[in-house]
Amino acid sequence: MFKKKILSELIQELRKNENVANWQEIEPQEARTSPMPESVDPRIQAALAKRGIEQLYSHQHTAYETVRRGENVVAVTPTASGKTLCYNLPVLQAIAEDDASRALYLFPTKALAQDQKSELNEIIKEIGIDIKSYTYDGDTSPAIRQIVRLAGHIVITNPDMLHSGILPHHTKWVSLFENLRFIVIDELHTYRGVFGSHVANVLRRLKRICRFYGSNPILVCTSATIANPKELAEQLTGSPMRLVDDNGAPRGRKHFVFYNPPIVNAPLNIRKSSTVEVNHLAKQFLKNKIQTIVFARSRVRVELILSHLQELVKSDIGSKSIRGYRGGYLPKQRREIERGLREGEILGVVSTNALELGVDIGQLQVCIMTGYPGSIASTWQQAGRAGRRHGEALIVMVANSTPIDQYIVQNPEYFFDRSPEYARINPENLLILVDHLRCAAYELPFKETEEFGPLDVADILEYLQEEKVLHKNGDTFYWSAQSFPASEISLRSASQENVVIVDQSNVAAVKIIGEMDRFSAMTLLHDEAIYLHEGVQYQVEKLDWDHKKAYVREVDVEYYTDANLAVNLKVLEIDRTRDRGQAAVHYGDVAVNMIPTIFKKIKLTTFENIGSGPIHLPEEELHTSAAWLELKEVGPEIGTKTLEQLLLGIANVLQHIVPVLVMCDRGDVHVTPQIKAAHTGLPTIFIHDHYPGGIGLAADVYKRFDEVRDAAANLIRKCLCKDGCPSCIGMELNGINGKQKSIQILSGL
Amino acid sequence: MSGGLRERLLRLKGQAKGEEAGSGEHGSGSAATAGRDDSAAGKPESRDYRDNTERQEPDLHPAFGMLGVRQMENEHGSFLLRRIDYPFDYRHGLYELGELVGYAPALEPVAARQNKTGRPQDGHPDAIRAERLIFLDTETTGLGVGAGNVPFMIGFAVVEPEWRRISVEQTLIRHPGEEKAMLHYLLGRMAGRTHLVTYNGRTFDWPVLANRFILNGWRRSGVEPGHLDFLHPSRALWRNTLASCRLSRIEEDRLGVERSEDVPGSLAPELYVRFLSDGDAGHLDGVYRHNERDVLTLVTLATHFGALLSGEEEDDPRADELPEGAEELYRTAAWLDKHGMRRRAERLFAALAARDDAAAARWWLPAGLRYKRLGQWEQAVRFWERSAEQAELAAIPPVDAHVELAMFYEHREKNPAAALRYAEAALELALRRPASAREREERDALRRRVERLRRKAGRL
Repeated sequence: MFKKKILSELIQELRKNENVANWQEIEPQEARTSPMPESVDPRIQAALAKRGIEQLYSHQHTAYETVRRGENVVAVTPTASGKTLCYNLPVLQAIAEDDASRALYLFPTKALAQDQKSELNEIIKEIGIDIKSYTYDGDTSPAIRQIVRLAGHIVITNPDMLHSGILPHHTKWVSLFENLRFIVIDELHTYRGVFGSHVANVLRRLKRICRFYGSNPILVCTSATIANPKELAEQLTGSPMRLVDDNGAPRGRKHFVFYNPPIVNAPLNIRKSSTVEVNHLAKQFLKNKIQTIVFARSRVRVELILSHLQELVKSDIGSKSIRGYRGGYLPKQRREIERGLREGEILGVVSTNALELGVDIGQLQVCIMTGYPGSIASTWQQAGRAGRRHGEALIVMVANSTPIDQYIVQNPEYFFDRSPEYARINPENLLILVDHLRCAAYELPFKETEEFGPLDVADILEYLQEEKVLHKNGDTFYWSAQSFPASEISLRSASQENVVIVDQSNVAAVKIIGEMDRFSAMTLLHDEAIYLHEGVQYQVEKLDWDHKKAYVREVDVEYYTDANLAVNLKVLEIDRTRDRGQAAVHYGDVAVNMIPTIFKKIKLTTFENIGSGPIHLPEEELHTSAAWLELKEVGPEIGTKTLEQLLLGIANVLQHIVPVLVMCDRGDVHVTPQIKAAHTGLPTIFIHDHYPGGIGLAADVYKRFDEVRDAAANLIRKCLCKDGCPSCIGMELNGINGKQKSIQILSGL
Repeated sequence: MSGGLRERLLRLKGQAKGEEAGSGEHGSGSAATAGRDDSAAGKPESRDYRDNTERQEPDLHPAFGMLGVRQMENEHGSFLLRRIDYPFDYRHGLYELGELVGYAPALEPVAARQNKTGRPQDGHPDAIRAERLIFLDTETTGLGVGAGNVPFMIGFAVVEPEWRRISVEQTLIRHPGEEKAMLHYLLGRMAGRTHLVTYNGRTFDWPVLANRFILNGWRRSGVEPGHLDFLHPSRALWRNTLASCRLSRIEEDRLGVERSEDVPGSLAPELYVRFLSDGDAGHLDGVYRHNERDVLTLVTLATHFGALLSGEEEDDPRADELPEGAEELYRTAAWLDKHGMRRRAERLFAALAARDDAAAARWWLPAGLRYKRLGQWEQAVRFWERSAEQAELAAIPPVDAHVELAMFYEHREKNPAAALRYAEAALELALRRPASAREREERDALRRRVERLRRKAGRL
């Protein structure tokens, strides 16, 4: 008879596995609690007691008391530490005390808003006070909107809806804005980069409207662990913040394992597929009925692993108890899976990073990641899914062959000793700022002396006046254009003009499935491109560049497409320079000219080139900020041809490492090598923000250049390949001792 | 200038206001009259906006003078006002303006449909009296009902029975700072009036104005004005028979108003921006005229619907005037039906029955259904029989009339033989229609009906 093993036995077995590259133990922590504050309404106390909450964890207690004192709070809480109570308790208490009080909750997605509404309404029901909480987003029916606007105590929405659906119509929300006591911003760490820079400006507009209606709400933010929660919250909200990070939730012992699949091709340093290893590992736990979550980075990967696992374990536990979880699922389906996980009916779940955010699925025993999730913060969020309050938990990160995965596995101290990433925003990006000034002026006239962030915006207002968007009368600027500015501005995209993706698979029901910024569309949505959306392949039938529409149709093909982009860079202005003897590092403004040339069709299984075609699109120009390193003198032993290859190799490494260090998406920052830069004729590597006007990424690279350089050199040095592989500087440098020479160039900087 | 100085100046102006109050009010009479003798000119007036005063020597652009525009002042500042009085016998399209007074009470069913509650302050809910209406149309700087869309001109008309005239007033703000004074004036003019008469005002003009009240620090209180918004009634009648349901189209094609050299309403925002940038009031000439015309047309449109709803009495001369097209005849009849004007509707249905053209035939079937609902089978059958006759001539014949008749004879008349004749005819017609999945279902249903009727008929 087959005997089920318990987790500790499996942990002991895993310790012996030769592919384990690093084993870290995280000590358990006892709960730190404080008694329920006396000021909490007895009805709320009773409702909480019914759920087994008789005391507050230290961070919940601190947050409550700080908010009661009227201070703004940013609470940093790991996954599943009861963070919602940090804001729900003071908000519910305030409404219990004064029925006129109102609160606005912001979540980054509609799904999270829905979750929060369900959770809130459950507890409100138990409290027995008539508190109305509603979601307000694109899905809210027109019939109920009026009710939400007039009677909602707690309005739960997302920044996009606030931007285009609420603020420009603030006159319909008088009862909310006049009585707004709290603004709650959950998942603060998701507001970074372009999106965060937009949201910071939306919040400026929100605060402006609050001032107009005479309210001065307290801000309550919660964030996952990032390096700079207080700074981010202050930058995002423009208000001073009190940091609450005394997490008092208990946790058991955690084992954090880095697992590196064995090498199958030594010269090219290619390792066994992480997916296969994950399947194998997950099976061990699942068939022993240990609740396990598997994370994968793409939706396709999720489906792939899911079907494998269901097949592998169906004789042992039945395939129904293993489920997938990703963005495309219907809310009802997701609720069912979440409940199943909490109640233990579902044993295993394979998820994209959708489960990284604060959805309540209870605590599982094992978490397996297919590849490095891309940032330290994300990794900790995912790891937080495993770990009961008592007993052991196991987290396994199975590395891919990519440079960054290999770097992390081989430098565990990078991950464990370092504080997580900084979340950067640049609300002063002039293009974003001007967009939101337009919206703000539409919402309320702008006084000449009025502030909108740290910059003196009077100049911009005068500019908008010249553009006849504003009309100045006395000391006030008034909106005078015919348009509705919020509808022209999307918070999520990298440029103002987006390409809309139209699915015409079903002629009778043509639908819009997404949008993409125009710079990315050049290489991803050209005619005949294969475009992946929610794991489904589409082919672009026609890219209508003039009207910014891409018409796609669902296909099932064995290849993907990869477009070549010819890039030309011009330096417009050098702001700062660091001289390094034979080299220099600069920061400034550049003009990037891009024109896609051809695309290749690449077979999915073998990466063979099986065809190509031209792309006919006009050149696009992007003005942005960049950091660049130039080599003033290069040793004579390195020939031009070799140097060109070396620059390419280093650029490849930087393209991998920079997004990790500055915490942004891979596409947000571009690295371009030039053997002869136009302005100097010198060998140069540019690192530039892929957004007009820049969002502070290149600035960060310049500031932390030594760190970036060392990380790049370290990655090349520690790579196990002989002389270059796709995991580091690429494969085209055979026989020139490229690794060593690349390191030499880097250390010269 | 410091705030204190500004306040002092305003206080001084307030005193000046008191001194010239008398002349101001008298002078605000008819700055321009509509080409006729105004018997009321020069007579003293009683108005409910006594706190607004005309400014005697305003430094206005000469084009404003040509338009008869004057500067007004009240506690919130200044704005511009143009006022034109139209005597009751002034004809705008099909009607003399004064005819509204008689027809207005007939609009009660429209008000009842559009407003959930009656107007309690009125004594008898929903009573419509011409002098309690305010006809309103705004010109705005943009589109939509967001907080940034500003009505720069508000045109409105009120009925003054004691002077036997309709007074059209148009406010204009020269800059956003004049908005509050303008809105204050409008509120004064709305006082004591029960309904706003508009064209799409329920979803556009009034929400936009409501925004402005809030932005200027006023909060909603008391009873909201009732609405008589003629967009929906107009669509009910003319949605298919006019190229569009824009007011300008309706007035020209149905109300007998001819518009010459009109500036399209859509250009108004642009013209206003031009005025803002160079101060030349000449740009606004067309906007004034367009807006004025719209307001007058609202009066005519309300009169028209009032007349339509007044035809219940046989001796009303309007009762003989019928819409020309069959579709409009049917839609008008159906609309009247819905507003409780059964007898009037019936006259129109009768007229529809009297028509003999193919265009009319299409509407005999729904007309028959109307009588079926009322249980007036004789009339229903008459419509269906004619509709059936017409159907048999068609290339792709509809079968509905035959089916209705088959049902009538089977269930009401208990005459399966007659019913069978119609059912068989229906089946034959159905077979002449091009095949499709739906058609096949229809044919199967007809076959079942025919078989059932054969059995019934055979038993007798």
